Amino acid sequence: MAELKLVNVKKVYDNKVVSVEDFNLEIRDKEFLVLVGPSGCGKSTTLRMIAGLEEISSGDLFIGDKRVNDVPPKDRNIAMVFQNYALYPHMDVYNNMAFGLKLRKFKKDEIKKRVDNAAKILGLENLLNRKPKALSGGQRQRVALGRAIVRDAEVFLMDEPLSNLDAKLRVQMRAEIQKLHSRLQTTTIYVTHDQTEAMTMATRLVVMKDGIIQQVGAPKEVYDEPDNVFVGGFIGSPAMNFLNGKLVGNHFVMDDVKLLVPDGRLKVLKERGYDGKDIILGIRPEDINDEQVFLDFSPETKVSASVEVAELMGAEIILYSQVNNQSFVARIDSRFNISAGDTIDLAFDLSKAHFFDKETEQRIK
Amino acid sequence: MINQLKEVFSTLKVHKDGSNQLDSDYKWFATDKEEIIGIRNDELTSKDVSLLTTFLTPYNVKFPTPTQAERNWRKIIYSTDLGEKDWKPSHPFRFVYFSFNKNQIEPLLFKDAIEGLFDKQVPILWENEHEGFIIEQQMMEEESISYEQIIDILMSDLYVKITFFVGPYKKDMEDLTLYYHSLTNIAKRIFHYTTKSVLTYVEAIPFLLTKQTDEDLRLDISKTILQEYIHDEETIHMMDTFFQCNLNLSETAKVLHLHRNSLQYRLDRFFEKTGIDIRQFQDAMTVSLALLARK
Ligand SMILES: Nc1ncnc2c1ncn2[C@@H]1O[C@H](COP(=O)(O)OP(=O)(O)OP(=O)(O)O)[C@@H](O)[C@H]1O
Ligand SMILES: [Mg+2]
Repeated sequence: MAELKLVNVKKVYDNKVVSVEDFNLEIRDKEFLVLVGPSGCGKSTTLRMIAGLEEISSGDLFIGDKRVNDVPPKDRNIAMVFQNYALYPHMDVYNNMAFGLKLRKFKKDEIKKRVDNAAKILGLENLLNRKPKALSGGQRQRVALGRAIVRDAEVFLMDEPLSNLDAKLRVQMRAEIQKLHSRLQTTTIYVTHDQTEAMTMATRLVVMKDGIIQQVGAPKEVYDEPDNVFVGGFIGSPAMNFLNGKLVGNHFVMDDVKLLVPDGRLKVLKERGYDGKDIILGIRPEDINDEQVFLDFSPETKVSASVEVAELMGAEIILYSQVNNQSFVARIDSRFNISAGDTIDLAFDLSKAHFFDKETEQRIK
Repeated sequence: MINQLKEVFSTLKVHKDGSNQLDSDYKWFATDKEEIIGIRNDELTSKDVSLLTTFLTPYNVKFPTPTQAERNWRKIIYSTDLGEKDWKPSHPFRFVYFSFNKNQIEPLLFKDAIEGLFDKQVPILWENEHEGFIIEQQMMEEESISYEQIIDILMSDLYVKITFFVGPYKKDMEDLTLYYHSLTNIAKRIFHYTTKSVLTYVEAIPFLLTKQTDEDLRLDISKTILQEYIHDEETIHMMDTFFQCNLNLSETAKVLHLHRNSLQYRLDRFFEKTGIDIRQFQDAMTVSLALLARK
């Protein structure tokens, strides 16, 4: 059983680089928490501070009720899995899993019990005598997980464990790690730069940028209600569209293009004093429709757009287009033959759109 | 000498190779013949200890007992007698400096892990309780161990942050003392300048050269070359990664989780603004030095 708490945690490296700042987060027992964000945003640094591999420059880290800033990693009751799933080349699978326990002078039969158990969970029973050379990438990654499982730790820390695998294997291992988590129920903190991985695996996710938490929430929450432009653009693929314009009366106006803002949204915008001000409209590609019913139903959010690129993805088409010299992407059912150069009518479903402050890029709510 | 000492200190005993841990009831010393002798603590006054240390080297019980090979290496490094240096190892060797966080694990544990990693005894020369050198004989290509690959697994088993500085291979003992001192010297400074935990001698050279330059010139160079990008951490991170990926665009894009085209575009922008095209070797080298100079 372990909850974790980070309070005002900050990391400044020797070279004065501030890599994580003002980090406040509670991680619940049994949770599968994902840290996600672009390269260099401080995900690994955060994880390594929790592990104790990096010192915390200021702030407090609690595991359970205990402040562990000064507790060495070996006494934190954690197990780590890294991106690099290299194994000890001379040891077979059994010994690769057992080695950490051997170093800690665990009894032979206890080691065997734990390794056999981990092997069973991961389906490695028949590979225990194999050397790493004779394993596939997925099998090696499973051994790496096994090495963590045998620790019987309260917390798993995983830093991009799947990013060295090819796409197909990655999807498969994603599912395996989730299965593993629902079976062991070990509190897990998982780092990835891949928003799809984050969305599909997380109980909650933490979006980071430049060492600062941008938003914390369940995947759907973060997807539906992004706190700012960065989160809106980072989570979801293809990314959310952002269009610059102005609120004039009841309309979002981009020069000669006018979109009617639904009442609910309008009320909030007006209350917050945005009438006549520059704002950013954020709308997801799937909330732009080409179906006739929509077009008929919402004549005041209709845009006539010329198609620059149309990518057929099977069941859907990704359209790259422009309105008022601003690019946007739409995702529509592939019912028609649409090709570059065509002009089509599209309806923007503004009831699903968001508005952001032009200066702060925060969502107006 | 040992016999003479034995007459004074009745509990004196000589440590034999093979038995692993030194008894902590004894105070241990190394003689100039690299023998390890111990005298029971209760037979020693502090005066005795200071006297003994004038001609013996105190030996830390926390260290694993040195093996014959380790004692030989030490002898060669410290000996001024050139005759000793005739001894030639059967294979080329290299010194690999290691360091881990203080007071977090016992040296003996580290030694066990290294032996597990190599599947045999490997000489380790301890500098202190958390730093030293692994002396690694060159093995067949397929067997050689990449420290970069293995460091994560070692850290996860040992639960401690480790750094490695990998020295170049050497074929004979000539200038071994110099080799040893220069590696020690570099190793102790180099990790201030890099985010990596494994660095080779070759990778360290540019760091060392830039650090020799005086600070004003360094700043001037980095400003002149990087111009408005000098504080643009995102672009700098991108260029750093591009160099680490051997100027390979696709690889860099992958590591940065960027589309290849947007990477292209950013490099083009940098070229337009500075006139420097880091896709060219010469320009890349200069920018890479300017980045180092900036740190
Ligand atoms: N040992 C170090 N010394 C100095 N700066 C460091 C060190 N490690 C990381 N940094 C810096 O801290 C910042 C955050 O790095 P970190 O590795 O935590 O990012 P990340 O989110 O894990 O990125 P990635 O997705 O590329 O792995 C970066 O600017 C990085 O250059
Ligand atoms: Mg990372």
